[in-house]
Amino acid sequence: MTPERFRAVVSAVLVIGVGISAALIGIGFVAALAIGWQGSLAGTAPATAATTDFSNLPARLAALEPAAIVQLGLLALLATPVARVAASVVGFTLEHDRLYTAITLAVLLILLTSIFVLR
Amino acid sequence: MTPQADLGIFAISVAAGLIGALAGVGGGILVIPALTFGFGVDIHLAVGASIVSIIATSSGAAAAYVRDRMTDMRVGMFLELATTTGAVCGALLAAVVAPVFLFVLLGVVLLGSAAMQVARMGEETPPADPPSALARRLRLESSYPDRHLGREVPYSARRIPLGFVLMWIAGVVSGLLGIGSGVLKVLAMDGVMRLPMKVSSATSNFMIGVTAAASAGIYLARGDVDPQIAAPVALGVLAGALAGSRLLHHVSNRTVRLVFLPVLVAVGLETIGRGLGFGL
Repeated sequence: MTPERFRAVVSAVLVIGVGISAALIGIGFVAALAIGWQGSLAGTAPATAATTDFSNLPARLAALEPAAIVQLGLLALLATPVARVAASVVGFTLEHDRLYTAITLAVLLILLTSIFVLR
Repeated sequence: MTPQADLGIFAISVAAGLIGALAGVGGGILVIPALTFGFGVDIHLAVGASIVSIIATSSGAAAAYVRDRMTDMRVGMFLELATTTGAVCGALLAAVVAPVFLFVLLGVVLLGSAAMQVARMGEETPPADPPSALARRLRLESSYPDRHLGREVPYSARRIPLGFVLMWIAGVVSGLLGIGSGVLKVLAMDGVMRLPMKVSSATSNFMIGVTAAASAGIYLARGDVDPQIAAPVALGVLAGALAGSRLLHHVSNRTVRLVFLPVLVAVGLETIGRGLGFGL
């Protein structure tokens, strides 16, 4: 993999992550302005959970709750840097750069540990 | 939130994204006071929104910076090793260390660095000395295209061990105090490792998203991320960061320093204020 191609791939990961999250957050936000944060686009019973509650997301997405759509977008945004580091691991591997593959892999592991273990 | 408040938060966030993308910082210093003082948002929700703002600035600006060779990916990944381990240590230390003294100490260090920034204001690019053996070995030497100067600017990282240690401390501090991670990164790359200002800013931008993502789970689980506030913040910051990342090419290193300096002073004063018990 050439350095140019590597950069293009990492950049594309960021563009895709930002694009998906901006679209979801934008759609959810506009929907919330239209029908309120406790509403549901699917016309089911209004949401009772606080908007800060990220639990039970699949069911609330199925009900097309604006808050749930924004939450999915926020999760996509938070996952973007992680995806970027993961893409860098692959990139350095394909560049046969052992030192930086090891460094990036270590960063990825520390990152995943701090997200899923330290809380 | 009323539609007026939504619009106000969006506008502030555009500014935060723009400044953040240029200066290599997350914009929390602008977003948090604006939300709490301007719109009466609870401090915890404001901090949660600022985490979202940091990641949005980073990912929004870095897409362009990585593609255009403004971000040094090797420097970024090498130093992320220091900041992420530091952040984990900081989060663990938070339970045992009383941060009051640390807040004041950090604030003084930041204001001291501001004086150094003023002294360096006349310098467009750092002196181009031959790369050290360590910089060659770690491949921390490269060049970036400067459209303002109209040429390729070569550079290599100096004082790498000291830079690495400072980055580790930057990670500890941001894990412990939750602030200043962007300014400390820029200071370490520009001031200690002597990378060009634009490369320092773009590489800091690249890194801050990872640092923030590491702690984002904690804020989510605590219920500090509220879509009602985070949505206008994220959309505004992304728009601002995309605009800022277009702008960086065309301004001089000196201009970047001019944008960075007031942010540095503001973070320094805010940090001391928090240590002394007033402020946020």
